[in-house]
This record gives sequence, C-alpha cells and structure tokens, in this order.
Amino acid sequence: MLGNLLIGLREGLEAALVVSILIAFLVRTDRRSALPKVWLGVGIAVAISVGVTLVLTLTQQALTFEAQETFGGVLSIVAVGFVTWMIFWMRKAGRSMSSELRGKMEEALAMGSGAVVLMAALAVGREGLETAFFFFAAAQAAGQSTEPLTGFLLGIAIAVAIAYLIYRGAVTLNMGKFFTVTGGLLIFVAAGILAYGMHDLQEAGILPGLNTLAFDVSAAVPPDSWYGVLLKGIFNFSPATTVIEATVWVAYVAVVLPLFLRPQRVRATATA
Amino acid sequence: MSRRTPAAVGLAVLGLAMAGCTSTAPVDTGAGGPITVAAADDACDVSTAEAPAGTISFDITNGGSKVTEFYLYATGGRIMGEVENIGPGLSRQLIVEVPEGGAYETVCKPGMVGDGIRSAFTVTGSAERSVDTDTRLAEATAGYARYVNSQVEALVPKTQEFVDAVKAGDVEGAKALYPVARTYWERIEPVAESFGDIDPRIDGRDDGEPGVEFTGFHRLERDLWQDGLQPDSSSIADRLMADITELAGRVPSVELTPLALANGAKELLDEVATGKITGEEDRYSHTDLWDFRANIDGSQGAIAALRPVIDERDPELGPLLDERFAAVDALLENYRDGDGFVLYTALTPDDVKAMTEAVDALGEPVSQVAGVVSS
Ligand SMILES: [Cu+2]
Repeated sequence: MLGNLLIGLREGLEAALVVSILIAFLVRTDRRSALPKVWLGVGIAVAISVGVTLVLTLTQQALTFEAQETFGGVLSIVAVGFVTWMIFWMRKAGRSMSSELRGKMEEALAMGSGAVVLMAALAVGREGLETAFFFFAAAQAAGQSTEPLTGFLLGIAIAVAIAYLIYRGAVTLNMGKFFTVTGGLLIFVAAGILAYGMHDLQEAGILPGLNTLAFDVSAAVPPDSWYGVLLKGIFNFSPATTVIEATVWVAYVAVVLPLFLRPQRVRATATA
Repeated sequence: MSRRTPAAVGLAVLGLAMAGCTSTAPVDTGAGGPITVAAADDACDVSTAEAPAGTISFDITNGGSKVTEFYLYATGGRIMGEVENIGPGLSRQLIVEVPEGGAYETVCKPGMVGDGIRSAFTVTGSAERSVDTDTRLAEATAGYARYVNSQVEALVPKTQEFVDAVKAGDVEGAKALYPVARTYWERIEPVAESFGDIDPRIDGRDDGEPGVEFTGFHRLERDLWQDGLQPDSSSIADRLMADITELAGRVPSVELTPLALANGAKELLDEVATGKITGEEDRYSHTDLWDFRANIDGSQGAIAALRPVIDERDPELGPLLDERFAAVDALLENYRDGDGFVLYTALTPDDVKAMTEAVDALGEPVSQVAGVVSS
C-alpha cells in the first residue's frame, strides 16, 4: 500500500506543483478568467496520456524504451522553457501591476493565453504517460487486489492536497513575497525538471555518462522514504545524480536566479 | 487570442506520431509467451536466462513490499530497457528490442537503490536473420507474381489465335492451337481459380450439371474433336476470349501470400493426380499430357519462388524437391512427341501407374512447403 501511495504522491506532485502556482498567480493578479485555459491544458494532457496508454494496450503494442525516455526527456526540457518564461512573465506582470498599468497587463495575458494552455499541458503531460501506464497496471491488478490502486489514488489525492496547500499559502502571501517565494520555488523546480530531462536522455542513450555520478546519497535519502519522495516530487531531486544532471542544475540556477533577483525586482515590490 | 494553442495541439500530435513510429511490432504471446520475472524485496527470479535476439518481452510482477525497477543491461552498463515504478502487487511489461546476441544482465532494484539483484542473461543469434526472412518472403511473392503475369501475357494472344481459328472454321489449325493455349492457363490455374466465377466458364467440363451452361475450352474441344463445329461455336469462342480478357485484367489485383504459393503448388499436383493422369480432363482431344506438363511447370514456378526461404528454414527439403521434380520431368520426357506429347490414349496402364507414383512421391515434399514457409 505504502509503496504505491508514494508513487502516486510523487507523480502527482510533479504534475500538480507547477499548475498550482500558475493558478495562484492568475488568481492573485485578478485573472480568474484565464483559469479555464489552465484546465483545458490539463485536460489535453490527461486525454493524450490516457489515449496513448489505451491505444498501446488495446493493440498489444508497447512503446520502445528509447521512445518513452526520449518523449519524457524532450517534454521535460520544453517544460523548463515554459516554466522559465512563466517566472519572468510573473515578475514583469507583478511589476506592471504595482505600477497600475492594467491595460498593459491585459495585453500581456492576451499574448500569453495560449502559453497558459501549453504550460499546464506540459506540466501534467510530462509525467502523464508514465502515470497512465502505472494506473493501467494498477487497474488491471484490481481483480486480485484493489490495494495498489487504492494506494496510488490516495497518493495522488495527497499530492493534490499538498499542491492546494501550496496554492493557499501562496495566495495568502503579500504580493512582494508571493513573487519572490513562488518565483524562487519555480526556479528550483525548473532546474530539477531540466536535470531529470537530461537523465531521461542519458537513459535513452542520447546523452552519455549515465554511470558517472556526481554524488550518491541514496543511503541518507532513500528514494522510497517519504522525504525522498517529497524531494523528488517537488524538486525532482535524485539521490544518485549524474555529473551532467548536477552540471545543468547548477548552471540553470546560477543563470536564472540572479536574473530573477535583479534590483528592479526589489523596487517593484517595494511599491506594491 | 490564444495564438499558441495550435502549438500545444501540434506538440501533442508530435508526441503521438513519435509513439506510433517507434512502437514495437505486436507482441507475440504464443510459443512460450513472454519471460516472467518474479520480483520481491530480496529476489529477482527470471523464468529463463536465455532468449533469441529480436523483440524480447518480460512480464514483471512485484510480489514484494517495496517499489521496484527492472532493467536489462548490455555490457558496459548500457540500458537496453527499463520499467520504473513497479509498485507492490503490480505487474508491468517491458518490451525491448535486442538486435544483437551476447551477454546481458537482468536487474531488479527493490527500493530503487543500489546495484540491485543481478543475473546473467544470454541473447542468442542475431535479429537480422528474421528481417532477412521477411524480405525473402516478400521477394518470393513478388517473383511469383512476375511469373503469373508472364503467363497471362502469353495466354491472351495464344487464346486469340485459337479463337480466330475456330471462328474461321479452321478445325485442324484450332486443334493444333488448343493444347498450346491451354498450357498458359494450366500453369497458373490456382490463381485463376481464386476467381470462383471465371474458372468454371473457362475450364468447366460437360459433367451434365443442370443449369450450368457448358462453355469454354472444353466445349470447343468437344465441337472440334467430336461433334464438329456447331452454329454457336463462334459465339462460344467469343465468350472464351472475353472471359480470358477479364481474367487478365483481374490477375494483377490478386494478393499473393507465401502460403498461397505453397498451397497453389500442391493444388497443381492434385490437378495432375485427379484430372490428367486419369485422362479425364481432355476426354475428346486426349492432350492431357500437355496440361500435365503445364501443371508441373506451374508448381515448380511457385516452389522456385519460395526456394530461398525453404533453403533457409529446412535445408534438406530443397534437394528432395529437386530430386522428385526431376523424376517426374524425366518420366514425362519419355512421352514427348515433337513440340508436344503423345496422346493419352497411347499410354499403357503401366505408364500411368509409373507416372502416378512419381507424382505422389513429388506431392509428399511439396505438401511440407506450406508448413515451412508459414512457421
Ligand atoms: Cu516520474
């Protein structure tokens, strides 16, 4: 039960975290009208994941391993692009809001409304295929024992609850803190997704160095412990990290974090 | 407004297309089925330690309490395939393409940490062989299709000559042309028979079936050799030509399979045994040996097209086929008369018996071919 619960929790967090911050941002900046676009993106991702899984199962085919990993890896890297875009979009929108430039803000949203759909789709779709495969296996086992399915669904429910708590917490923050905290969180999330995408491409054999580890703390942070699961679910932290993963993680944070914390940021929130 | 929504849909379609073109062939669940892996917290029991190269599928069941992963590693730690997140109590499938034989390793990683529980796994042979076989089977049907087409190309003008002679009242000329035109027909008879409606019109015999009009080659045979030309002989000849022309138009659309070739080769020998060796087919002209020769040719044509596949899968069958075809050929040559053959009425009961035995002996290995090409 616990094992399957933790898988549901981790996959659920990976998918729900970015979406919950995106929703919090739209709510905070009075753009509830854009919320249906988020759910549209989520719906597209779920439909594709379930559809692919069903088609492959019904036709008795299976994705080759390289295809699965390449798919996951490429989608992760594209998702990082969008999360990064979101971080700076939020930052700019927050600034323009503090300057009471509401007209320009609407313009920014118009530009980004398709991107909102795409981002929600990527955040969920990135993990969706894997989750759908797992869900299918659990549903098929339900004849013998409903325990795996129950555990998995419970894990997803907990993930949604945590994502909701993050959302509530973000919403209750004051505007200045909101951008700093959620933006900062997203930078580390995006760095983790990027590293994870690299790992997928290493597993697919597209990138080398799968066994060249930068560090291995699996003994201290077992991947099946609750804290290992939370670290993986939120930050995509892998206890056994390859040199390439560690390098892109550090490089991403080193570039994006200073840009995010540039002085204008402070001035903008000061007047909020 | 949502200018980028098409991009989202495009990405989704790309994902599906990628899934489509890199998915494996349908998994063969017959013959032994997939390899089962019983994973537990301290065990990783793989049902067999050896598999032939190609698509290998593992059914992994996690009977333990920890989440586990299953890997197939090549030497040097290269991952051939993996399934992550196999929760307790769940089964997942790993389907992996292994084109090269060699030493591999299966690994379960309970708790998803460490080196896992490893066992040696041997892959035998090379998957290129099966790819080659498929190509050869495709070449076989293509080669036989060319043979059939070449026969049809000759059948049309030869039938035209025969029909023209009948319509001109040239009985002697028509009699000489009759077995020649039929040769091309008899060589490809299994293909022609796949059009159930055409075959009886062209090659039906006067067995007095009520309601079935007697037309085609054998009706003209009766007119030429027994009854003399009838008032409707010309129109029967025209109908024969029309039917042959229709056949020629439809033959290119026939879908040939290796199994159809093998069965066709056997059917032709059955034709010999039931029609030609008994003298039943050409009961007025007695040119049965011409048809006999053509049936054997057609059978040999189909077997020859399949020969590379036969040699690959059953090296002893090919030489045996050669030997038995040669025996029938040698026997038939004893009855050659100029460009054609002696009439059936010239055969003694001993001649017929010898030929029956040779054809039966040939039928035995030919009937094995279907099993060999479809395995
Ligand atoms: Cu995942």
